[in-house]
Amino acid sequence: MIRMGKNDHAAVRAILAGDKEAYGALVARHSHILLRVAFRITGNEADAEDVVQEAFLRGYQKLESFEARSSFGTWIYRIAVRGALDRISRGPAVDFSRVAGATDPEQDEVQVADTAASPERLLLSGEIGAMQEFALQSLTATERTAFVLRHMEDCATEEIAAALGIAPNAAKQAVFRAVKKLRIRLAALRVKR
Amino acid sequence: MKHLNEEELIEQYYKQGKTRAKRHLEACAECAEDFAAFKSDLDAIRSAELPARDAAYGERVWRSIAPFLPVYEARRRSWLRGGAWRGLSYASACAVLVASAFIAGRVWEHQQLRTTAGNKPAVVAQPAAPPQQRLVVVVLSDHLERSERLLVELKHADAGSEEMVTPLRDEARSLLAANRVCRQNAEKDDDPALAVALARLNHLLVELANQQGGLNAAALTRLQKEMNSGSLLFEVRVLRSRIPDQKPAANNRPIGGTI
Repeated sequence: MIRMGKNDHAAVRAILAGDKEAYGALVARHSHILLRVAFRITGNEADAEDVVQEAFLRGYQKLESFEARSSFGTWIYRIAVRGALDRISRGPAVDFSRVAGATDPEQDEVQVADTAASPERLLLSGEIGAMQEFALQSLTATERTAFVLRHMEDCATEEIAAALGIAPNAAKQAVFRAVKKLRIRLAALRVKR
Repeated sequence: MKHLNEEELIEQYYKQGKTRAKRHLEACAECAEDFAAFKSDLDAIRSAELPARDAAYGERVWRSIAPFLPVYEARRRSWLRGGAWRGLSYASACAVLVASAFIAGRVWEHQQLRTTAGNKPAVVAQPAAPPQQRLVVVVLSDHLERSERLLVELKHADAGSEEMVTPLRDEARSLLAANRVCRQNAEKDDDPALAVALARLNHLLVELANQQGGLNAAALTRLQKEMNSGSLLFEVRVLRSRIPDQKPAANNRPIGGTI
């Protein structure tokens, strides 16, 4: 998932020896990855940026507890995942009545097999994206985070469990529940065969 | 023949399934069809378009947090390398050890004497953290959490919605008293960063709580602008992160270090 350079360990040692500026290199190196995962979990750019800042801030404060046998990248990634999870856990509920779904007969007509890049198709793909986002937001914070880590970040169950601070079996069950719920919510998008 | 259940299909999709299930999938047309439907559904779920950031993004993040980070004190190990200092430190450690053993022996002896004399052994109370200090930390933590929530709501508030604005004003009023206490404590404890942030928060709370004739669109915009220009929300979050967690997090420790 995250690779670790020897440079990261050297930077951590330098910071703990009083070279605060060395942290800047770590921030620059890992910011994009953290922004990506934070955005995927929160689904919101502003929140994702806040999560990145807080993760690095918290990481710096806890740097003395960072154990050099692990990777700084993985460590800070987990802090960001926790931060993002925390944020969506206390976020406002989404009004799902706005989501067009199986209850809307017009949406049952939606077809996604058309490959022509017409304006209508582009509009439709935008709608599909919005529906997917709403469907993701209908999951619990843990389910959503577990699903994002599994499906989009390609994390193994053990990595998801470690990032969420739960048992591997609980992480696996969270992914199962998420997939089942998403399939139900996105049934309207299914191509009629 | 026992068909694969939904969970086994999910495991197969993420390539974490068992070999037995994989073999079954190859042999059973019904399960293969179910799996194809699964695959089609899951393949269609993609991440929203990621926000584009240039190469300087990391640098910007660094600049935004750098002022809040203290410098770690260098670990002073070099003096230990000097032979004389090392000898001295060993001698000091031995002296402390001997003194501790002597005191412990004296205390034990004293207790033994009291017990043989028919007295109950004295119960030595464990020194606890000063309750006043613990209380201050809890109150401050709670206050900053509520303040953060208020600021987030203010950030996203819509002046047209009375049901959104009225609770904001009420919450600001109820936070004012706690803010005053926390601010006085911060000044007493000589914590200028906290005192200044709470003073700014106080100003905003007063404005929010005492808007004449309710909170109109102009006043709300002005407050939001004031809050954003000083990064008050970020500052409150930083202060919150300084407070040690109240809950034990032993079960939540990630592998490789403590968060």
